[in-house]
Amino acid sequence: MGAWLNEPLTWGSALILFLWSTVFLLIVLGFVTYAIYYERKVIGWMQLRIGPNRVGPFGLLQTVADIFKLLIKEDTIPRRADRLLFIIAPALAFIPSFTVLAVIPYTEKLYFADLNVGLLYYVALSGITTLAMVLGGWASNNKYALLGGMRSAAQMISYEVPLVISIVGVILLSGSLNLRDIVAAQGGGWFWSWNLFPQIIGFIVFYIAAVSELNRTPFDLPEAESELVAGYHVEYSGFRFAFFMLAEYVYVYAIAALTTVLFLGGWHAPAPFLDFVPGIIWFLLKFAFIVFSLFWIRATFPRVRVDQLMSLGWKVLLPVALLNVFLTALYLELFVK
Amino acid sequence: MNGLLQGLGVTLKALTAPKVTTSYPDEPFLMPDRFRGIQNFIPDLCIVCNQCARICPTDCITLTGKPNPDPEKKGKVIDTFDINFEICILCDLCTEVCPTEAIVMTNHFELAVYSRDELYKDAEWLTDNNTLVRKDNNNIGAPAKGGAK
Amino acid sequence: MIRTEELLLNVGPQHPSTHGVFRIVVKLDGEVITEATPVMGYLHRGTEKLAESLNFTQIIPYTDRMDYVSAMTNNYVLVHAVETMMGLEVPLRAEFLRLIVMELQRVASHLVWWGTYLLDIGAMSPFLYAFRDREIIINLFNELCGARLTYNYMRVGGVKWDAPPGWMDKVKDFIPYMEKKLEEYDKLVSGNEIFLARIKGVGQYDAATAIDHGLSGANLRCTGVRWDLRRDEPYSLYSRFEFDVPIGHNGDCYDRYLVRLEEIRQSLRILKQAVEQFPSDGETMGKVPRVIRPPVGETYVRIESPRGEIGCHIVSKGKAEPYRLKFRRPSFVNLQILPKLLVGETMTNLITILGGIDIVVGEVDC
Repeated sequence: MGAWLNEPLTWGSALILFLWSTVFLLIVLGFVTYAIYYERKVIGWMQLRIGPNRVGPFGLLQTVADIFKLLIKEDTIPRRADRLLFIIAPALAFIPSFTVLAVIPYTEKLYFADLNVGLLYYVALSGITTLAMVLGGWASNNKYALLGGMRSAAQMISYEVPLVISIVGVILLSGSLNLRDIVAAQGGGWFWSWNLFPQIIGFIVFYIAAVSELNRTPFDLPEAESELVAGYHVEYSGFRFAFFMLAEYVYVYAIAALTTVLFLGGWHAPAPFLDFVPGIIWFLLKFAFIVFSLFWIRATFPRVRVDQLMSLGWKVLLPVALLNVFLTALYLELFVK
Repeated sequence: MNGLLQGLGVTLKALTAPKVTTSYPDEPFLMPDRFRGIQNFIPDLCIVCNQCARICPTDCITLTGKPNPDPEKKGKVIDTFDINFEICILCDLCTEVCPTEAIVMTNHFELAVYSRDELYKDAEWLTDNNTLVRKDNNNIGAPAKGGAK
Repeated sequence: MIRTEELLLNVGPQHPSTHGVFRIVVKLDGEVITEATPVMGYLHRGTEKLAESLNFTQIIPYTDRMDYVSAMTNNYVLVHAVETMMGLEVPLRAEFLRLIVMELQRVASHLVWWGTYLLDIGAMSPFLYAFRDREIIINLFNELCGARLTYNYMRVGGVKWDAPPGWMDKVKDFIPYMEKKLEEYDKLVSGNEIFLARIKGVGQYDAATAIDHGLSGANLRCTGVRWDLRRDEPYSLYSRFEFDVPIGHNGDCYDRYLVRLEEIRQSLRILKQAVEQFPSDGETMGKVPRVIRPPVGETYVRIESPRGEIGCHIVSKGKAEPYRLKFRRPSFVNLQILPKLLVGETMTNLITILGGIDIVVGEVDC
């Protein structure tokens, strides 16, 4: 794939790239389908229920049925809504969520784009989704949606900052913004060479900020069911709503993959004697664990209040992340050089 | 932090705990004997005393009697007996006052229908609703069980 | 030119957190509430007016539907009022049964509150845990009187059903089970830092304000006033049992939360004693005239429902139907402090405060 990207674009290569991205889109859709199933099952079990079990064997087709229902629903646009922005917003939410996936390496060989500013690309593009939420909330011409959209903007901006700064430690350690190089730097045998342990502070800040960026419980303020009914997407129905949900779950995929790559050693086995297991299996295991932890948290915690959310972001996470950068730099200066 | 971790422990334990939900529409949900479900009506026992219609708090029972076809016997026999389940609250008072247990509760509780008209149950329907009939009716209003009340 | 304006927001009547069809019109400055006006009446069914054309036995099913989360106490307040007017004796066994179901009901009602409050705050699991345990009580009631929510269990002069065989043992088994589950609740929620940050210091008022607004129940006790009708004006058999009246000190949502959880423990304590002292046999229905006609006059009785002081005022002209029937519904009275509490709070706290007051809309609108 990498070679294709560096050559001049021809009709042939464009077609192949297009086909590949279609295949990848299908994979991502498959992930989203079963991530929702997995989430509902896990949360169901944690809540002493059995989760979906009616459609298909073990309820495996439940999400398919749900999506089908959304697709055949009437597409309603409120009369007083800003029609153009209302239509653009769901697509604007989804596109960046899919494009950020391009830079994530799964194994040494399996990756899409070997971008040398991969991390920066991820962070920069994922910020666009916020815009979609604000637009969607504003264009709906609904007060709840507006409040949700404003909260979403405030939250995303204040958590993007600690999220980026918490990764700086990782960048310092591996000396690269390229996600493949970052994983490669974590290789070398045992699991303590993963960034998770030297960068434990960075990891915690990153994890909290990531959950917040995902708008998931306990930071699901923009859609806060019990206060804002559904927040920014309260007026959306049918496939436009499906696009917002899709974007949300694709970001779950992206953040789980990014956490695996940055802190959990990507495709590396936790111990040298486990090297015979293919890297992709390790990647998927770590990935699944991160996704599970997100669902686990959702099943347990109540929602944070909006003012507390802000003060947590600016007064706790940001200073801690900065401290982490400072400590990492100090360590590198004193012991590594 | 400790509180958060303890909470996570509780939910993790619940992950493997026995589940409490039942697969209701697949397996019927069995109610205890005293359950107050849709009434069963036994026309042969009815003496058309009108007590059930009078005690009903929502006035959902309407009944009419006719003279006994057997000229030997006095009194009336039931002609029509309808319960409107749009407004019946299954409060059990009609079975409580019935002196002959002509109207009794059953354990059936599924009343969902496609049309409101179907909720208007007549004597025939109520007579055929004769499964899972409540055994112990404790009709404290009945004179047979001690006249002091 | 930038212009700011206030946002007029209708919270409810269809809203996930207004516990039914309750509506608050709030004026928002950003997310801060500058004015709040509760609008009620969406679930008004005219119970009190309807009662004027019904006899007392027929009113009992209607009381079930006022505070549908705690139907047993509603049953009791009506039959208690009629019994007081007529000076009827209730057999001991019946009175014990009434007390046991009322205390079980208090536990069930507080469990519903606990679950839905956490749902308001944003945690889903506690709701299902609470309903798992409430289901046991509901099933007990179902075995006892044949209904899961609207029991229609009490009658003037006694109760409709005696306990079925083995029922009392099930109640006995439930007490230690529930005590164990309360520890689990504490682990899951009471220590959760996010939860504590959400409710500590929110919706605070002092004892004088609470009394001025006529609050009762946990909403009053959270300010430090030790007032519980079960202890201060014992009705039924409460004077026979030992129990504490838990109070708070700060009068905020957190204290209300603690008071209610402690009340569950105290209810279990009463239940434990009641099950032990339960008479082995006896009548469940006293001697009652065939048609219940309270003498001319009026009476007001009050008892402690899970939500506070529920009262029943009957004016009788000597007929089988009441001339006037008035219920003092604790949810309705407790709600009166809401507009005062909401000013200056954010949208998020609106839900926290409203949930903390513990209203049941069926009772607010009656």
